[in-house]
Order: sequence, then structure tokens, then C-alpha cells
Amino acid sequence: MPEMVAKFSRITHHRPPRPWKVALVLFLLLTLAGNLCDTFHDHRHPFWTWPSSAVAEYGDEEPTFFQAAGPCARCHVVSVVEWGISGHFHAQTNCQSCHGSSDDHIANERNEIKPDCIVRGEAIARQLCSRCHVAGCPSTQRTQSCQTCHHVHALLDPTKRPATALRENQEQVARLHAYHRQMAEAKTHFARKQWTRAKVFFQRALELMPGDRSASAGALACQRRLHPMLAGFDSVGEAYDQATGLPQDVTIEGLDLPMRLVPPGSYEMGSEAWPDSQPVHTVRVRAFFLGRTEVTQNQWQAVMGSNPAAHQGEAYPDAASMPVERVSWHDALAFIERLNHRVAGGGFRLPRETEWEYACRAGSTQFDPSEALAQAWCSTSTRQKDATPDAVVTLEVLSTRPVALRRSNAWGFFDMQGNVAEWCTDHWRAYVSPSIAPKSTTTLRVLRGGSYADTVRAMDPALRHAARSQHRLRFYGLRLARDVPNLEPRDLD
Amino acid sequence: MHEPNNLVDQLRSRRQFLRDAAGLAVAGAVSTMPDVAPAAPPPVRTFRRGGMLYRQLGRSDLFVSALSFGSHTDPAFRVHQGPGISTLNPKGQALRDRHIAKALDRGVNMVDVYDRAGQWKPIAETVRSRRDRVLVSLCREFSQVIGDHVEHAARRFGHVDLYRLAINDGPVTEPTLEAWDAVQRARRMGDLRATGIASHCEEAMLSALDKLEGLDFIMFPYNFIHARADYSRFLPKAIERGIGLIAIKPLAAGSIVQLDPLAQHGSKPEDPQVRLYKRANRSLLPAVVQKLTEHLDRVPDESLCQAALRFVYARPFITSAMPGMFQEHEVDDNIAAIQRHLVLTPDEHAVLDHARHLCRAQGPRWLPPHYRWLDRCWRHA
Repeated sequence: MPEMVAKFSRITHHRPPRPWKVALVLFLLLTLAGNLCDTFHDHRHPFWTWPSSAVAEYGDEEPTFFQAAGPCARCHVVSVVEWGISGHFHAQTNCQSCHGSSDDHIANERNEIKPDCIVRGEAIARQLCSRCHVAGCPSTQRTQSCQTCHHVHALLDPTKRPATALRENQEQVARLHAYHRQMAEAKTHFARKQWTRAKVFFQRALELMPGDRSASAGALACQRRLHPMLAGFDSVGEAYDQATGLPQDVTIEGLDLPMRLVPPGSYEMGSEAWPDSQPVHTVRVRAFFLGRTEVTQNQWQAVMGSNPAAHQGEAYPDAASMPVERVSWHDALAFIERLNHRVAGGGFRLPRETEWEYACRAGSTQFDPSEALAQAWCSTSTRQKDATPDAVVTLEVLSTRPVALRRSNAWGFFDMQGNVAEWCTDHWRAYVSPSIAPKSTTTLRVLRGGSYADTVRAMDPALRHAARSQHRLRFYGLRLARDVPNLEPRDLD
Repeated sequence: MHEPNNLVDQLRSRRQFLRDAAGLAVAGAVSTMPDVAPAAPPPVRTFRRGGMLYRQLGRSDLFVSALSFGSHTDPAFRVHQGPGISTLNPKGQALRDRHIAKALDRGVNMVDVYDRAGQWKPIAETVRSRRDRVLVSLCREFSQVIGDHVEHAARRFGHVDLYRLAINDGPVTEPTLEAWDAVQRARRMGDLRATGIASHCEEAMLSALDKLEGLDFIMFPYNFIHARADYSRFLPKAIERGIGLIAIKPLAAGSIVQLDPLAQHGSKPEDPQVRLYKRANRSLLPAVVQKLTEHLDRVPDESLCQAALRFVYARPFITSAMPGMFQEHEVDDNIAAIQRHLVLTPDEHAVLDHARHLCRAQGPRWLPPHYRWLDRCWRHA
């Protein structure tokens, strides 16, 4: 040490400091640092847990609202602390009570999906506070503009003890407990498939908490199970979707075209493998019905009275069950328009691009060529059948094949890849933010799924294609989609 | 008088010539014809490196050398393999490989490759060590499935830079649209960098401009000597849309080589059937072409072939010219033309335009009777 001090002094041309001065400076620094930390953090706890003021508020009791907040506490630390020191924490009114379940938001690490419900401004009092505080503010009896006096999360005055504030809201807390009891009863009956009784309890819960999404969705699900059919559909099987209460498999009346309910959800759309499919982004899809197969020549003939397909005649004995092709996007719309007039309820349409990829992926995230080969009629699979691997394969030796001959995907849809490419409703545009992307002025419409003339690489669900809407080629066909009825509470009895 | 440095100046000199030229019996007829007059041609991005000129191919991100190597093979070394298929014998292949390697060394960066000429494998081996600097151009040769064809080519060459369909007479039909659809899908998969067509028919090219989405380039015959080389309907439209234009047959399928008094011994056209000017028939040449020959030959040491190529290079809307090259000295000559001043003098412009307008105005009569089939069937030449 003396040598180091001497060396330091030689380099800096300063006198070495006195040892007692060094000791004094070190002592002062350590003391100051210790006091500084104690001013913000309790010395009994690790410094990264809480501010000591929060611990003092709760005395020796360990604060548990971070655990109670669950995954929300991972990111929304400040909001959770605000909520934790308010009476709402003790009243068991958690994040989901106001923001909905927000499962997609929680699952989406990149924060591209917002919570289910974000209410701002004057609507806070009307839509959120009034659910419990029916009589208005306990102190002022005001029913609007709660946020002028209260913080949006720490709704009570943080200087008051939470227990004091809680006593002022016993009525609201009792209502909340009653709501939870009704919901628990409703869910019990729902699990036992006692739809009528479950619906009664859901509706009671809805009376206690007007506008509550869980209760309204539950009541709607019960209603659907009591009256499961949609106009224009014949039900197939007994399976129902838990989320929507709709039958999973149906056929269109008089057309024998099977459709299947695609459950709502979100997925990562696009792929970094293809230039036009970038960037990968999260997309949320509502529930909808999608044709299990492409529209066949027989079905087209039944609706339109003509058959434009190139693959028909004596050379193709199975042509009736082969997908219709040589239809333009406008032809597809004409077909759908006639179908909507013919089938009660109507509402048929082409699938959106997001819906198509969602249904084609069927939960998978990676493209598996071997699996695609098992599912798709593509040039590779057709060539294997023709056993001419070395010869030049011309378009003439390839053709469409009857639908539903290959294996279905994980959600039960046939020929999503291969056979014919399928028109979607969307204009062709790049995957960029809608605020940046210029409005599409081209007549290009999106086509999805490869055709029988494409290689197996083109069967990737993320691969996009487009063509002019008036083009009729023998690779272009269609698949039907239909919206499910609105799930809003106003549909209830 | 300043030298014209863009198309507007060239057009101005042309109009000036037409206005000032006296004694032209066909001036009236010429003046009534539509002119190649793109009002505001988009600026073409160019650069020079190592003596070679590179131009942007339309609106794609590719820069193509002004001289590119075609898919032609020397008929003297061809070995017939089947209908429409002929390869080169080892000697001919070795010569061609040497010529291509030399051209690539001199800055040529695009090679057109035909599988039915047996050139995929040799070209793939030639360009392997410099694949990132060479653009490989392919064509659909049979009616094969394009997805398979492109995938096969991508395995052979790593990737394909330019891919085209050959369109024959008439407007674009449904089979062409189907093929084009497959080409565009391959492009969206990243296997192709630019897609286009090759055609000898102006009507087909006009139709392609309207109907084919994603068209990057067109290969079409373009040279100074032929009456139809104006493409008065097609060129303005293509230039306006920023389509890359690649001139094939810039030496009129070898006819200019035959005409060239300075052509070195051994120079010959690709196909003897399309010889336009035999030396024995020199006396039958129209006077205007003879005069043109004399005029362009006045540049010291410049052959007529070089002058003809210079005419093509001087057009800023022409990205690249693809003449036939069967001899080593032809590679040198064609590259040497780029070293020269690429802007034609006003006199040269005037004479060339005069010749072309005269030829066009006179219709098939400008050719000797036994060569008039060439004007009617130029698209097949």
C-alpha cells in the first residue's frame, strides 16, 4: 500500500494523502450511503422489494398485492402499487375486474395487443365506478368525474388507512361478494350442463355487476346451448365450443357444404422466410365459421347453374367433387351473393387473410414440409403419383383432385394448402402499420394456399400471393366463411 | 453545338433534321407517323466501373452491364440431342466457356442460360466462384411447371436473378397468365429477383404491359437498321412505366456482321437463314443503308458492328444489349464499343433517323424482293 501511494504521488505530482484523512472520508461515505438507503428502503428487507414507506403503511404485515396482481405485476409495477394501497385490493377488485381477462395482452410479450378494456375520461365513472358505487361517491354522492378527486388506480385517498376507507364501502363490498357467489353457482351449474339454472345465476350476477363481461358471456353461452342453431345451418354432432356456445360442426342447408367453427384467439402472423410475409406480427381473430373443404364444382353448379372449371368432362370422372376453379374474385363474390339470397340468415363471405392463415396454421408455429406434403395436393405429391420424377413435368399432366382426400390439418380443415389457391377478401398490401401503409389502389386481391401446380415449399401457410381480381385461372378457387352472431350482451333475452 | 446527352436532345435533333432536310420525298409521310417521344423519361441510374457501363434494370434493384452474354451457341459445334435440344461438343463448349469467362473478367455481369442448349451445368460451374457478381438469366423453355423449373434452377445456380417467359404473337392469353402467375409466386418466395418477358411482337409486348403485374423487364429485338425498331406504341409506354429494356439482336441477328467491311475474318451470324446483306448482293442494298454504312465507318477504327452497338448503348432506356459472340475478338470489339463515346453526334443521329424513317415509310419496298419476307416475319427472325 505505501508503495502504491508513492507511485500515485509520482504520477500525479501530488503529496500522498494523510492516512487519517483517507479513513475519515471512507467513514463519511459509508455512513451517508447507509442513511440514504434507509430513507427509501426498510433495512429488514432487500432493497428491491418495497419502498419502506409502503412497509410502514402495512406495519409488520407482508404486502401481498404483487402476488395478488399476478402477471400484471411483471410490467405495471407502479399501477399495481397504486392499486395495492387502495381499498380495491381488499375488496378483491383486481385488474381483470376493470380491464377484462386480457389473456391475449398477457400472452403477448411484445405488447402489441392492448388489454380487453381500457376506459378513459368521463366514461370511467359511467362504466367502471358505477358498477359497485351505484349510489355514487360515499363522501360526496357524486356520480361523475370520479378522477377529479381520485387517482385512477389508487382511488381512495392514499393518506387514509385502507381499512377506514373500506368501512365506508361495506355495501359495495357485500355486493361484490354476492356477485362472486352468484358466479360460482353459475359456473357450477354450467359445468353440470344445467344451462337454464346456470343462465339464471349468470343473469343475477349481471344484475349485481351491470356490464360485467364474464357474466354476460356466460349468460350468452347458456343461451346458445339452449338454442344452439343458427339460421341456414344444419347441426352435425354434439360438440359445442366452450367460448361461444356454438356448435362446432354444421352444414349449409341444401348445399351439403360442411363448415367448422374456428375458435377465437391470437397468433403470430407472417414469416421471416418470405419477403412479402414480413414482419411477423400478432393478430387477434374472432370466432368464425369456415368451410372444411373448398367449394366444389358440384356446389358451384348448384348455386350458379354453370361450371367454369377447366378440369371437367370425361377425362375427370370425379370432377363433381373436385374444387371449382377458373373463378375470379368477382365470380366468387357473385357466388356468395346468390348463396346469401338462397340460404336463410345469409352472412357468407370470403375469409379474411388473417382468418385464413389462422385456420391453416391450426395452432402450429413452424412450417413442416413433410406434414404439408401429407395434407396438400401440390406438384410434388401429384408427381409422386404419376411416378415420373425424371421427366419434365408439364402443367397438362397435373390437375386438381377431389376435395378431402388428403389428411386434414389439426383443426379438421381439408386442402387448406394445395389443390386450388383460395381468394381472400383483402386487397394486397404490405404488412406494415396501417398508419404508415398507403391505401391500396391496386386491383390485386390476396390469394392464399398454394395450388396443385406449386411446389411443396409454396404450401407454407405464411406465404402470400395476389392476383388481379378479374383473372380467372385454373389455379384459383374459393372457400366459404361466415361470421358468428354478435357476442355482445344486447343479444341476451 | 452541344452534344445531346439525353433523349430529349436526341429528339430535338431529330425533329430539327426532319424540319431542315430538303428533297426528302417521304418527309410528309414520316411527319405523320407517331414518334418515339417519351415526354419525361425517368432518370436511369448508371455507373461505370472498370471500363464497363452498368444501368439499373427498370425499377428492380439489379444493375446490369450494358453488354450481356446471350444464350446463343455456335452452330458449328452443335450436337443435336432431340427435338429442340442441341448441346455443344467438348471443343465448342470449351471455347464458349473461355469467352464467357473473358467477358465476365471484362465486366459483363449478366449471362443468359438455356437448358436445352446444355448450358446450365457449364455456366453454373463458370459463375460459381463469382456468383454474387453475376446475374443469371433464365427462360421457361418448355411448357414445364414453373415452380419445379425455378426450384431446379435455384438448386443449380443458388438463386435465379432474371426469369422470363417467351411470348409469341398476339396479346397475352390465359396460358401465359397462368405461367406468369407461377412466376410471380416464385418471385414472392424469393427465388427470382426480376421477372419479365421476351417477345418479338409489339402487340404482345403492349398486351403484357397491360396485363402482367410485376413486370420488371422486356427482352425485345432492337437495332438501328430495321424499320420496326421504332416501336412507336410500345416504347413510350414501357419507358413511362419504368420497365427495364434489354435489346436482343442488336446486330440484327448477325446481318450487320455480314454487312461490316471491317468485320474480322471468322465473324458470322448465328443463323445463316437470317442473313440480310450478302456481299454478293451488296449492289441490291438500298442506297440509304449504304450511305449510312459509309457515314458510320468514318469514325477511325470503328467497325459497323461497334457503331450499331453504340447506337443501342446510346439509348438510356435500353439497359443492356445482348449480341451474339462466338469469337474472342467479338467480345473485345463489343466491349470496346462501350469505351467509346456513347452519345452519338448530331450528324450520326440525323443519318440514322433518316435511314430508319425512310425504311419505315417505304414499307416492305425497301428490301430486295427476295428478302421482303423478313419484314413481314421479322418477329420470327
